[in-house]
Amino acid sequence: MTKKILIIEDDIHISKIIKMNLNLVNYDTTEVYDGLAAIEILKREKFDLILLDVMIPHLDGFELMERIKPYGTPVIFLTAKNSVYDKVNGLKLGADDYMVKPFEAIELLARIETVLRRYGKEERMMEFQHVQVDLDKREVLIQMEPVELTPKEYDLLVVLLKNKNIALTREQFLDKVWGGDYYGETRTVDMHIKSLRKKLNLQDQIKTIYKIGYRLED
Amino acid sequence: MKLWQKIYLLSLLVFVLIFNGASVMVIERTHNRMLNQAIEVALSQNMSIHSSVDAIVPILRIYDSLDYEKTVLTSMAKQFVAKNSSQGIYLDITDGASRTIFNNADFGMPQARRELENLDNSSIHYILRDVGDRTILFTVNHAQINQKNYVFTYMKDLTPVYQDRIEQYSFFAKVDSAACVLFMIVMFFVSRGLTQSIERLNRTSQIIAQGNFSERVKVKSRDEIGILGSSFNEMAEVVEDKINELERNNDEKQRFIDNFTHELKTPLTSIVGYANFLRTTKYNEKLFLDALGVIYDEGKRLEALSLKLMDLIMLKKEQFQMERQEMRALLLEMKPTLEMMAKEKEVIIRLDCQEGRLELERDLIKVLVFNLVDNALKASFAGGTVTLRTYWREGSYVLAVIDQGIGIAEEHLNKIFEPFYMADKARTRSSNGAGLGLALCGNIADIHHAVIRVSSQVQQGTTIEVVFATEGRGGGPE
Repeated sequence: MTKKILIIEDDIHISKIIKMNLNLVNYDTTEVYDGLAAIEILKREKFDLILLDVMIPHLDGFELMERIKPYGTPVIFLTAKNSVYDKVNGLKLGADDYMVKPFEAIELLARIETVLRRYGKEERMMEFQHVQVDLDKREVLIQMEPVELTPKEYDLLVVLLKNKNIALTREQFLDKVWGGDYYGETRTVDMHIKSLRKKLNLQDQIKTIYKIGYRLED
Repeated sequence: MKLWQKIYLLSLLVFVLIFNGASVMVIERTHNRMLNQAIEVALSQNMSIHSSVDAIVPILRIYDSLDYEKTVLTSMAKQFVAKNSSQGIYLDITDGASRTIFNNADFGMPQARRELENLDNSSIHYILRDVGDRTILFTVNHAQINQKNYVFTYMKDLTPVYQDRIEQYSFFAKVDSAACVLFMIVMFFVSRGLTQSIERLNRTSQIIAQGNFSERVKVKSRDEIGILGSSFNEMAEVVEDKINELERNNDEKQRFIDNFTHELKTPLTSIVGYANFLRTTKYNEKLFLDALGVIYDEGKRLEALSLKLMDLIMLKKEQFQMERQEMRALLLEMKPTLEMMAKEKEVIIRLDCQEGRLELERDLIKVLVFNLVDNALKASFAGGTVTLRTYWREGSYVLAVIDQGIGIAEEHLNKIFEPFYMADKARTRSSNGAGLGLALCGNIADIHHAVIRVSSQVQQGTTIEVVFATEGRGGGPE
């Protein structure tokens, strides 16, 4: 089931770019541009997660946070302010995470995923065309047949699936799969991508993007 | 040691010294007087004995008998002693060979008698001696009877005089201790009372030092400490005002920085976000053009923001060279540019100006007019009019920019001069505004000692008046 995310952000351009990025990875999005509209829509609809800008008209993000609390919906603050006071204040009010503008799309996606997982709302099964992934069992199936993957290949596949349609650089892959402390060569990523393409028959879907890295496209 | 303790101990010390000293002096003086008096009396008694002996000398000379002399002298002495029996008076008469002729003393005569040395006929010597527990005055003189020397020693017991002194002292000791106790009690309260207000002052200053700047001293007296208290309060008042002002300034700056980072980061977030989106996702022509449009718009917004910000910074730093300028000519000069701006929105610019020579900074006034007209145009509907009027009113020169646009809601009116304040965010942003225009105008007006007044009605239009006060500046209609 696709997750519904409410974007409360008064800057239309920012709201739209967030929406575009979330839609790429199959989240359902609703945009509202001020605090009062947010309260209205929360009365009618249920969301899996709320992205909340602090500086919005009518009711600011902190005030709105108090009104959101009773719904029990996880909240990630988006804001231009990065003072410690604001962070603490935001988290104290019950926000689940805090993102300071400007931010990168994949960073936002990763945070959203973390928060959703914390609330047990993460999909445990992922599907991409003929490939199925069982996150609990760390198992990859093609037409119900398990495929043998090394742990790194498996992690790389999951990163590709989670950032579907978004190109990631080799450095980003290294960071997400091998961890920030790994000072490996970017060639390692190329090797694993090559092997994934072969094992899962994803030659066309895993695209090499010039000057950037790789992208999983449907 | 505390001040009140110092005052207390010092005054106590001074009191004890002076009071005791004075009392001792008085007692001693009285005693000496009494003693002298007693001595005088004794001497005159002695003299009277001497003279009565002198009176009988001729008779004794006739008889010239030693025994007779002795008998006469003894009987005289007895007579004298009997007359003064109760007054502790003793008489001793010895002849030239120190044989006692008469003595009624109830104590032994001393062996050494210094008073007898160098005693001649016409003088009387006296000395005070302690005999047992008594003090006896010895007065001596000679009498020559028939070529024989007789020594008369007249003695008086002066113990009562000394006893009197002791009594005086013991009485004084009682008075002294009572006075001291009384003084200590009174002085305790006096010194505490005097220093209490200082203590209060001290407590208050400590409270203020802890950051409670609204604390004040209660001034009760009008002496020096009272005056100190009120000066202290005045000082605290000034400090509090200053601190409040600093806090206000600080808040203002913080707000400016918050707003500024917000205004800076919002376009940056869009630019980075859209650029990254284009970079990392599959090409789609519509999205591509949309995203490029956003990047261009947000870039322009940043450009406008940085220009306005530079103007604002410049205004805070520079000293401006004011010159006498004619406002109407200046506005006419700007008219073509303003009309160009108005054309885009299909608005008509109207000028209705009286002449006025004022102390102006040309470029700043241009920025001011440009911003005000720009705001008016943004608020106007197509086909509307923006009027620029200048006229004299009660000695002030007024520059008014009048539009028939959307107006400003009352809740926004007092905030529109704050940097980055936008009454309508979406609209301001869509026209590349940063919310700095009016803040800039406010600063320019300040530099010209002018006041900006805003009156507005929603959906009716806004009138912004810049009132140049010319009083004392020698301006006026020409």
